[in-house]
Amino acid sequence: MRKTTEDLLQHLQALTQTRRQFVGWGAGGLGAFFMNTAMAAQQPIASAGLSFKRDPSTPLSVLPPQFPAKVKRVIYLHMGGAPSQLELFDHKPTLSRFNGHDCPDSFLKGKRFAFIRGVPKMLGPQFPFHQTGKNGTWISDRLPHTEKLIDELCLIKSMKTDQFNHAPAQLLVQTGDARTGHASLGSWVTYGLGTENQNLPGFIVLASSGPGPTANAGKPLWGSGYLPSVYQGVECRSAGEPVLYLNNPKDVSRASRRQVLDAVDAINRHAHDEFGNPESVARIAQYELAFRMQVEASEAMDIRREPAAVLARYGAEPGKTSYANNCLVARRLAERGVRFIQLYHWGWDSHGSPTDEGINIGFVNRCKETDQPTAALLQDLKARGLLEDTLVIWGGEFGRTPMEDNHGGSTEVSKYIGRDHHTAAFTIWMTGGGVRTGMVHGETDDMGYEVVKDPVEVRDLHATILYLLGFDYQKLNYPYQGLDQKLTGVKPARVVSEILA
Amino acid sequence: MSALAYFGGVALATALGLAMAMLLRPGFAHAVLQTVGLESVPEASANSFYTVRVAPLFQAHCISCHGATRAKGGLRLDSFAGAMRGGKHGAVVAARDAKDSELLTRVTLPATDDKAMPPSGKTPLNTDEVTVIRLWIAAGASGTLPVSAIKGAPRLVAPVKMPQINPAAVAKLRAPLAKQVAQLQNRFPGVIQYDSRSSADLVIDASPRREAFGDADLRALAPLRDRIVELNLSGTAVTDASAPALAAMPLLRTLRLTGTHTTGVTVQALSPSKTLRVLAIEKASADALAPLRQRGVRIYEAANGQ
Amino acid sequence: MGNDLREQMPHVQVWDAPTRLFHWMVVILIFVSWLSADQGYMTVHLCSGLALLALLLFRIGWGLIGSTTARFSDFLHPPRAVLSYLRGGEGLYAGHNPAGGLMVAVLIAVLLVQAITGLFANDGLHFSGPLALLVSDDTSTWVTSLHGTIFNILLLLIWCHVVAVGFYLFVKGHNLVKAMVTGRKPHAHIPAGLRITFARTYIALLLLLAVLTAGGVAWFIIQGGVFL
Repeated sequence: MRKTTEDLLQHLQALTQTRRQFVGWGAGGLGAFFMNTAMAAQQPIASAGLSFKRDPSTPLSVLPPQFPAKVKRVIYLHMGGAPSQLELFDHKPTLSRFNGHDCPDSFLKGKRFAFIRGVPKMLGPQFPFHQTGKNGTWISDRLPHTEKLIDELCLIKSMKTDQFNHAPAQLLVQTGDARTGHASLGSWVTYGLGTENQNLPGFIVLASSGPGPTANAGKPLWGSGYLPSVYQGVECRSAGEPVLYLNNPKDVSRASRRQVLDAVDAINRHAHDEFGNPESVARIAQYELAFRMQVEASEAMDIRREPAAVLARYGAEPGKTSYANNCLVARRLAERGVRFIQLYHWGWDSHGSPTDEGINIGFVNRCKETDQPTAALLQDLKARGLLEDTLVIWGGEFGRTPMEDNHGGSTEVSKYIGRDHHTAAFTIWMTGGGVRTGMVHGETDDMGYEVVKDPVEVRDLHATILYLLGFDYQKLNYPYQGLDQKLTGVKPARVVSEILA
Repeated sequence: MSALAYFGGVALATALGLAMAMLLRPGFAHAVLQTVGLESVPEASANSFYTVRVAPLFQAHCISCHGATRAKGGLRLDSFAGAMRGGKHGAVVAARDAKDSELLTRVTLPATDDKAMPPSGKTPLNTDEVTVIRLWIAAGASGTLPVSAIKGAPRLVAPVKMPQINPAAVAKLRAPLAKQVAQLQNRFPGVIQYDSRSSADLVIDASPRREAFGDADLRALAPLRDRIVELNLSGTAVTDASAPALAAMPLLRTLRLTGTHTTGVTVQALSPSKTLRVLAIEKASADALAPLRQRGVRIYEAANGQ
Repeated sequence: MGNDLREQMPHVQVWDAPTRLFHWMVVILIFVSWLSADQGYMTVHLCSGLALLALLLFRIGWGLIGSTTARFSDFLHPPRAVLSYLRGGEGLYAGHNPAGGLMVAVLIAVLLVQAITGLFANDGLHFSGPLALLVSDDTSTWVTSLHGTIFNILLLLIWCHVVAVGFYLFVKGHNLVKAMVTGRKPHAHIPAGLRITFARTYIALLLLLAVLTAGGVAWFIIQGGVFL
């Protein structure tokens, strides 16, 4: 009698011990054996993490968090290229007064810049700021829609990073480490919590951009690193088929597709028996997920099903790839129990050359492309009561310098205005369950250069996100290469308790 | 030399030595005098600014090196007496004198300074925490001045608690309904979960099932109703017929009925609930919602958002 | 004739070199350990602590195979004998008298516990003893506070020891300090007709070598070793 796929997967997982793991002559080995027997009464040295064992046929099944969570899902809006905080949220009138002056030596000495060479000039804010909301929060005129919701947001103006180039900085923000090979935030979250809707991926990525370069660090930004590959982000498209080649070709019925899958499963099982690679089990689970997705994903991501009024509110146009479309899809996915929804919008790298990177041109367009849809998304989540248990994060990978980007020391007067990469301070905002509303956390100095109050490292942000999801960031770990790997890395991190409601 | 003379000499030398030590280390002097009872031990009252705001800071940042297990520099910050006593080099807190308070100086040094406290590797005090200490010293470094007497203190942020899971205790809490939970989890895979690994409360999410989940299925979950804290029925086939079942959940905090065919009838049935905090529905009349709104329940009507 | 000879040799060798060296090295190392811990030079503290441990282990071994006066069997007496000696029992002893013997035993034991607790202690920051990683953080912290308490006990014991030696020096006229330096006591202070066997110095060296080797191997294993 043919075993069901589930039975087989269970059996295969039990055999998952690879030869490499058994012959663990590497670090540890005999010494560890001696220590274990001789010091049997000792407590284990590394603190025990939680167990995330699951039925192998459902690797994304829901697991409860460590302690009661404030949010159940995350929507992360990553503004790739790094939006200029000085033109959006960080109001610096002193910088205006110094516009055009040579940058003081103290800002340049001992620092590395991506493109600034020599002595650049200070660049004042390019757009006017005003106060808004119940608490008189400062904001520029570039985000008229988002600003209406300012009382919902928690701005963090004191973010810090140590990476001044896009790829490592994006990797740091998304995976906790500046090098590739680590698991992304979405992977950790789906590993720890699973996802509510088993017919859709738990971690979905939707990308859009202005013209110009896109993901600098590529797919590792939503990769699963050393976590099993089933937890990686699935990049979907908001125009056409959500996932390329998801749907059956013409004349292939669902039943015949099922037969093909059964055959492929058998081959993978055979491969697993022979080589014992646990990824074979993950691969079978992914094929099964794809099979279920065929029905549900197309429906979930089809924004044509939304009324015209809703499409207008987002500025969405079915059939195009756009941030607005992605925001509407994000709301639909949130309603359908997807755990981690990540939107990327590329093109914020306002160096000032070429056109699209000018603060006066490209930046203006990025704001137009993202402001209305972001606000519409927040409004919709709120109206449906989803903001009660959703965490929405908006931000880039670093900030931009108070000095003008002088394009490698060029003395040519450029008609495009720009700022270089800035690691010492940048701004993000968060909103949702468990986050205080209408609040500003942290401050930079008068020039907007250094953080002077309440610095928040990237790992602190990660610790806070995991806390809101119901995890002690130290307990959500995965043993790999002799270390209990954590999203926050090896340095101590701190949950930013000041922003917790 | 006679034995008496000798031991007399020893006593004298020891006393002299002790006196020298007390003179050179005032902190030690106070400790000795307080232990012998020659000096009164300063104590802080329970609702003083020190006890409520300052002592927890010392507890969180300082006592691993300046406490009972270890007193670096002879300084103990695990008690008011210890904090006022100071350490090897004298008092660390000077009433109303920020400049003379070594403790304040050390915690405001840049992190790169060798003398900065806490030393490298430990989380430094943030601005709010330093302000609290500054305010305390400015108001006289008292152990009795009440919390309310000091104005302008930053909002007290509750420290983040990461509860340890005690598996045995959790298992005990879950024991009464464990069998029914397991059975119903088998019948409705992915619908029933525990709220967290450290509780016995249940979270029900039937929304992925859409129309396949109806009133009869909700009835089947009745054995669990005493422990349900969250119920997501968005997009399901549940109707007003389930209203009594929903009203009978004593711990229900969050209820989602968006995209169902429930009406104000269900809302009214829920009105008496004392635990409901969040309610998401399609649409209901203002009258039906009034009692819940009055009690501070957050209500979300999806139809309004269209 | 025998008596004449004894009068012509006013001093008799009672303490061998290893025992004397041990005593004064311990004095120096206790001082160094105290100072280095107080001033925060933890690497020096670690070295002096390990040296103390090695010396103590050596002394315990030497107490089994060393010269007569160095052996435990020579100066450890049953409690009754110690009490009767303290009450005013007269008697001449070449090595330690019963009370002194008890002091020595207690000091060695307390020093040993101090050194061992030090191995597992931590300073709350970056420094910890070489065996601290074998135990949980809580255990290490508890052991550290023990290390601190025992230090105070040690100070008290040293005070007792100094007072006692001072008593012998000033009241009884026996210069025990000089004896521990030169190794010789006036023949009038030791029982007549005593035979003291002195163990060969090379045995002491071999014993020390054995202790150091054992320590080296233990260190090697704890560090993870090359072949493990």
